[in-house]
Amino acid sequence: MSTRIPAPDRTRALERRDHPALRVAALVALLVLWELLTRTGRIPALFLPSPLGVINAGVEMARSGELATHVATSLRRIALGFGLGALGGVSVGLVTGFWSVAEAVGNPLIAATFPIPKIALLPLLILWLGIGEASKVAVIMLGVFFPMAINTHTGVRTADPLLIRAAASFGAGRVSLVRKVLLPSALPMIFAGLKLGAGTALLLLVAAEMIAANAGIGFLILHAQNLMETTKLMVGIVLLSLLGVASHWLLVRLERAALPWKTP
Amino acid sequence: MPRRLAALLVAVLVWGGVSEAPAQGQKVKLGVLRLTSSAVLFVGAEKGYFKEFGIEPEFVFFEAAQPIAVAIASGDLEVGATGLTAGLYNIVAGGVPIWIVADKGREWPDHNLTALVVRKDLYDAGVRTLRDLKGKKIGVTQIGSTFHYNVGRLLEKEGMAPGEVELVPLQSLGAVADALTAKRLDAVATAEPFVSRLETSGVGVTLIRTGDSLPWQIAVMLYADRFARDRARAVAFMKGYVKASRHYFDSVVKRRAGPEYDEIVAITATYTGARPELIRRGFPYQDRDGRLMPGDIGRQTAWWFAQGLVKAPIPDRDIVDESFLREALKGMP
Repeated sequence: MSTRIPAPDRTRALERRDHPALRVAALVALLVLWELLTRTGRIPALFLPSPLGVINAGVEMARSGELATHVATSLRRIALGFGLGALGGVSVGLVTGFWSVAEAVGNPLIAATFPIPKIALLPLLILWLGIGEASKVAVIMLGVFFPMAINTHTGVRTADPLLIRAAASFGAGRVSLVRKVLLPSALPMIFAGLKLGAGTALLLLVAAEMIAANAGIGFLILHAQNLMETTKLMVGIVLLSLLGVASHWLLVRLERAALPWKTP
Repeated sequence: MPRRLAALLVAVLVWGGVSEAPAQGQKVKLGVLRLTSSAVLFVGAEKGYFKEFGIEPEFVFFEAAQPIAVAIASGDLEVGATGLTAGLYNIVAGGVPIWIVADKGREWPDHNLTALVVRKDLYDAGVRTLRDLKGKKIGVTQIGSTFHYNVGRLLEKEGMAPGEVELVPLQSLGAVADALTAKRLDAVATAEPFVSRLETSGVGVTLIRTGDSLPWQIAVMLYADRFARDRARAVAFMKGYVKASRHYFDSVVKRRAGPEYDEIVAITATYTGARPELIRRGFPYQDRDGRLMPGDIGRQTAWWFAQGLVKAPIPDRDIVDESFLREALKGMP
């Protein structure tokens, strides 16, 4: 009846395949190349420490407990600053998104203060809050607060009006409207804000720890730079990179748990 | 086309060859801090002492001591005038040679350079010695800086352990002074003009003028390794430096007044933009012939090594080279 006509799939070239082995190989190749380059002795280790040297230094610092102190100190600052900033940002975003009065008051204030680079506020925060923990946590908090507040506000404002009306006509009160409609529909934006905030938090952590600190990853980096210990400096940079990857992974996990309807 | 290319190549070669030829007034890239303590080099340039020996110093200005050492190590600078930090010693310990070739400023009795300044209210409450600062916060620019060395060695002289005070690194002299003003610190190790400023504004009182109790080789002239190998230029530069140094010593350190002194103040003012009365307060002492304090570099590296802040002990022969100075002095009266 009908004959099959062979039709070549001309979109095959556009197919995106995963190459997990290639991904790992590229990273390993880069490291091997780097190690070989430093082994030739053409570049002094002072300018470019070898990967093995960095790993050795890291292991040694881990053994002496130095690494644990720095990481623990930094994690505590991040957890406090990020937690407080995110909590404040979400609350403010919800309130300004829900009440027009709060929006009228809050939005101009946020618009005026948001663009200030938080690093520029650091010297001021030190004068107000001292050179201890408070100023360091505060600067991270400020950095996280703004993306959270703005994202949450946008999330609430862009909630589907149809859903809101449907909930209202089914007799939902204010509280359950917020809890069951507005908050869930703002969640994707909130998580986008959290991911943005995590990057900002790392940046500000390093900046804050470069002034008047005695421990922390930022301190480790600056200290190594002051003493021209490039290998230790690299250990600090690798730590930051790991911390960034870890926080992103954690947030993606959290997002999947909180937004089951969005997960494929 | 190939012919044109060849012509171009020849032109480039000839031009390159011409610019390679030794010319009168060879440029030397010289890294300095825009501070009164660099006065001797400004004098050398303005009074023509370097030009006398065919050297034309090309100043590159820096904000802190450490970047000068790094620029010397990377080959961006040929000569540097800067303070001695643990970072500099670690560059050498890390296998990149830098040569300390002459004196460029010492902590010396009766000369203002750096000081330990205590907060006024603490001073009024009876803080008079370093021992009274036990357990207190002392601000410094950086760990491993000359100020760290000052505090550490002063503690040692007092028979105290390094951990008996808390050092707070604030990165810049300005930030250190601000933190004392805001009462976030109890004392600071700082330098002129901040010492004068803190005193005149009633924020702090000088507890110890470093030079009075701890004379040491705080600043030096550095040669990059490649410049040191260029023997003729390196010696020529040193001859100009010695002349400038003698002029500086005679008019600033010895006479402390007169038309030549005023001229040096004026020259320094044009280079640094500082007010003359501040400049007059901040001239450091240095040797008339540019000789280093005997044995002091070894003392410093040994101390930093003992603190665990310099990776390896550095023998003098790997970092100090006074042969340029000796050769330059040979031809001078």
